[in-house]
Amino acid sequence: MRLDHGDALRYLGAGEQAPEELRLAVERTAAMLEESVQPSFVYRVFDLERRAEGMFLRGAELLLPGEMAQTMLADCSQAALLACTLGSRFDAMLLAEQARDMARAVILDACGSALVEAGCDEAERQIAARLPEYFLTDRFSPGYGDLPLELQRDICAVLDSRRRLGLHVTDSLLLNPVKSVTAVIGISERPQMARIRGCACCAMREHCTLRKGGNHCGL
Amino acid sequence: MACDFLKQFPILILDGAMGTVLQQRGLPPGGQPELLNLTDPALLDAVYREYIAAGSQVIYANTFGANALKLRASGHSVDEVVTAAISIAKQAAAGTETLVALDVGPLGELLEPMGSLPFERAYEIFREMMTAGSRAGADLIVIETMTDLYEAKAALLAAKENTDLPVFVTMSFEANGRTFTGCTVASMARTLEGLGADAVGLNCSLGPDLLSPLLRELCENTRLPVIAKPNAGLPDPVTGRYDMGAEAFAQALLPCLEAGVTIFGGCCGTSPEYIRELCKVMADKRPARRTYDAVSFACTAVTPCRVDGVRIIGERVNPTGKKRFQQALLEQDLDYILDVAVAQEDAGADILDVNVGYPGVDEADMLPRVVKKLQSAVSLPLQLDSSDPAALEAGLRVYNGKAIVNSVNGEQEVLERILPIVKKYGAAVVGLTLDKGGIPQTAEERVAIARRILDAALSYGIPKEDVFIDCLTLTVSAQQEQAAETLKAVRTVREELGLQTVLGVSNISFGLPNRGLVSSTFLVQAMSAGLTLPILNPNQKDMMDAVAAFRVLSGEDRACRAYVERFAQETAPVVAAAPSGQLTLEDAVIRGLKAEAAKLAKAALETEGELAVVEGHLIPALDAVGEDYEKGRMFLPQLLSAAQAAQAVFEVIRTALAERGGAPVKKGALVIATVQGDIHDIGKNIVKTVLENYGYEILDLGRDVAPQRIAEAARGVKLVGLSALMTTTLPAMEETVKQLLALPQPPVVMVGGAVVTPEYAAGLGARYARDAREAVEITREVLG
Repeated sequence: MRLDHGDALRYLGAGEQAPEELRLAVERTAAMLEESVQPSFVYRVFDLERRAEGMFLRGAELLLPGEMAQTMLADCSQAALLACTLGSRFDAMLLAEQARDMARAVILDACGSALVEAGCDEAERQIAARLPEYFLTDRFSPGYGDLPLELQRDICAVLDSRRRLGLHVTDSLLLNPVKSVTAVIGISERPQMARIRGCACCAMREHCTLRKGGNHCGL
Repeated sequence: MACDFLKQFPILILDGAMGTVLQQRGLPPGGQPELLNLTDPALLDAVYREYIAAGSQVIYANTFGANALKLRASGHSVDEVVTAAISIAKQAAAGTETLVALDVGPLGELLEPMGSLPFERAYEIFREMMTAGSRAGADLIVIETMTDLYEAKAALLAAKENTDLPVFVTMSFEANGRTFTGCTVASMARTLEGLGADAVGLNCSLGPDLLSPLLRELCENTRLPVIAKPNAGLPDPVTGRYDMGAEAFAQALLPCLEAGVTIFGGCCGTSPEYIRELCKVMADKRPARRTYDAVSFACTAVTPCRVDGVRIIGERVNPTGKKRFQQALLEQDLDYILDVAVAQEDAGADILDVNVGYPGVDEADMLPRVVKKLQSAVSLPLQLDSSDPAALEAGLRVYNGKAIVNSVNGEQEVLERILPIVKKYGAAVVGLTLDKGGIPQTAEERVAIARRILDAALSYGIPKEDVFIDCLTLTVSAQQEQAAETLKAVRTVREELGLQTVLGVSNISFGLPNRGLVSSTFLVQAMSAGLTLPILNPNQKDMMDAVAAFRVLSGEDRACRAYVERFAQETAPVVAAAPSGQLTLEDAVIRGLKAEAAKLAKAALETEGELAVVEGHLIPALDAVGEDYEKGRMFLPQLLSAAQAAQAVFEVIRTALAERGGAPVKKGALVIATVQGDIHDIGKNIVKTVLENYGYEILDLGRDVAPQRIAEAARGVKLVGLSALMTTTLPAMEETVKQLLALPQPPVVMVGGAVVTPEYAAGLGARYARDAREAVEITREVLG
């Protein structure tokens, strides 16, 4: 799987104006990373049920409360739960690189973020291919809008992510390994408009340094 | 541990899945099956009886996740759940020959360095389970589904040290031959056998078809019985159903039998039906012949090192004759020690010798800390170099893999003190050919001592391939005839005893001009005589070149590939740096040219004092970089490159001062940490890298640090920097700031991190640092 170099440069705060040497450094690191680590992911599709308390995933026995889920899944009959990670080998690489060269480490870190996003994109493509007659919503994650961060734990439990991906959730609801994502993707019979992507939907809107600099993170 | 039932049954049949069977019977995915031991014993009893009826000779009690971490929120104790589980299983097995295993899965939290669970704590949690299972009457212990060799080691030690039960260990591998944490099959097999497992194997993750090549590799790497407990193929991602039927599953296990596996069962997606089919298929089968590859071996989880050619042991992690290293040991500056190790890995060492013995250093405390630090960022196997048994045991205990112990010698008391430790932790051992009488003058006498060491090792159950002999290098300028004796002894030990040989090479040239020439010539002679494990400085190019050439001539470097690559790199254009004549120290720092900056700093020190170099060149350069960064003309990687070039300058200054015995340049101290619950620390590390280069002394407490610990460390310190990444860890930041501000002389606290805002910081009574640059500004203001 390939990562988007533009994403990595944006995470480094450079974007379009990145100097040539930084571009080259990102290219080199990306190639090395793609060679040694590939994102792995698991997903499961569940039927959706509308309940007074929120959207309920039958079979997973999981409730997605709040407006975010309500809006995103308004048109959907099913939803997929997704977990994607670069695994702890990436963490080991990042630790090793930090002991060698911090400058290279932050580039590796940015490339890792871009690669796990590429993994999520690939998972979405697979879901879409498995369900050709359906349309997918944007993916959204615990912590976006009012979707509780606590769901991180439930999604990982339902997907058995510890056993199947080596993906853990800490007590403070951080995902470990570091470069990991959990997400919900709505599945509908009708085409879905983009609702998530862009700064308007983002909880970090007010404080995001990328946005202050006139950039965006690409999500 | 006698494992009688393994002899009784040439082929042993285990059970199938518990978790997925319970899900078929109504347990929601993600539910905690261990609580069923208390709430629905009848359901479990039924499953056990079905497995026993199907032909399982061992059933796994429903204790996979019955550990203190996973039961924390349940209100039930480990003892309660484990006792109930074992007694249900034993009741179901009563009147049959089926054995009941205590089933021990991963703890559910990652161990250090990837997670924040310390090895010692993991051991304690496992110990609680093991003693409960043993007390409840389990017949054996099964440690399974492990993906981290370190965690498997903690569990295995806990089982062996606290029970008399046989222990099986199985781990989960991906099709690429590695676990999630990167552990290899050979590392797993040889580490766990060394630690005393009774059988090893693979379970979960894949179906039997994809697992069988890995099982073949496993069989070649262990003498122990091998277990296969695969999944029923792969799950359909949409529905979660496994794709392999019972009959196909049993048939697909036949290649595993041919590979040498003798213990079979099923994991996720299998059921009693699968075990029935398995029994049918195996009923008339005999175990296959096994061939064990008795190679000398050391490893970390991720890097196996087979000694089937010349392997280089790096010698630099050692204080002898190195003032800067001694200073680092006394100041407990583990970062410096790590830098020394990293440089050797990058220079091409295969194994690193680790010696931390120095007056004023508590080796038994320091060695395990250094081992942990090194294995966080270096992937090479370690050779623990000490004569202190307590230090060796402490180091071996926390080592993740199969280590080498350096050393024993021919003295009886030394052998009796050290060899039991070597055996217990499954290490290899270096034997020095000397004894009470000193170093014998003839090769024959040295070989006789080698033989004595080998016999002693064998008597402790240490296999021959784990015994390495050091025939000792003496200084040729002092005892000229001894060089030939050493070479003769090496040849005899290699040819007649068939053992690996170790030599510290560079001693040979002590006191002579052009030492490199004598050392590398001796190295070549020794390798020709049969030296396989030279101990040397891998940063010395002539020595490494000699090994590269030798590997070509001995045929080890197939098609001269490594040699060609080594020298192809060398002729590639050098880094496009301006010639140092035109480059100022400031330029070198600004452009992040580490080597140039160090060279220019050395030159500057000839005419200027240390402080003048720092204040006159370094700080102005860093300020220029900081300003460019702030204005968006430079980005984070460039800022850090400059910081690291400055660090190289600082290292030159520190070394100069240490050599003279002068006081280090220090501008005041601050404490930094990532708050409790937060495991992302790259942001804090960025700040540290930048601040270090202004000459501040930084006490880095690491990540996931409890408020109390930060408050204790901050006593008498004027400034504390805290980082937090997630909203969920902000309460920990609040608590920490509160405790800091309640100190008798409260420090200034600066906070930063993705979710921290200026308003939030002000609310806490802390200063807000948006980035590393702002952290420098605040630090200057507070510490000057």
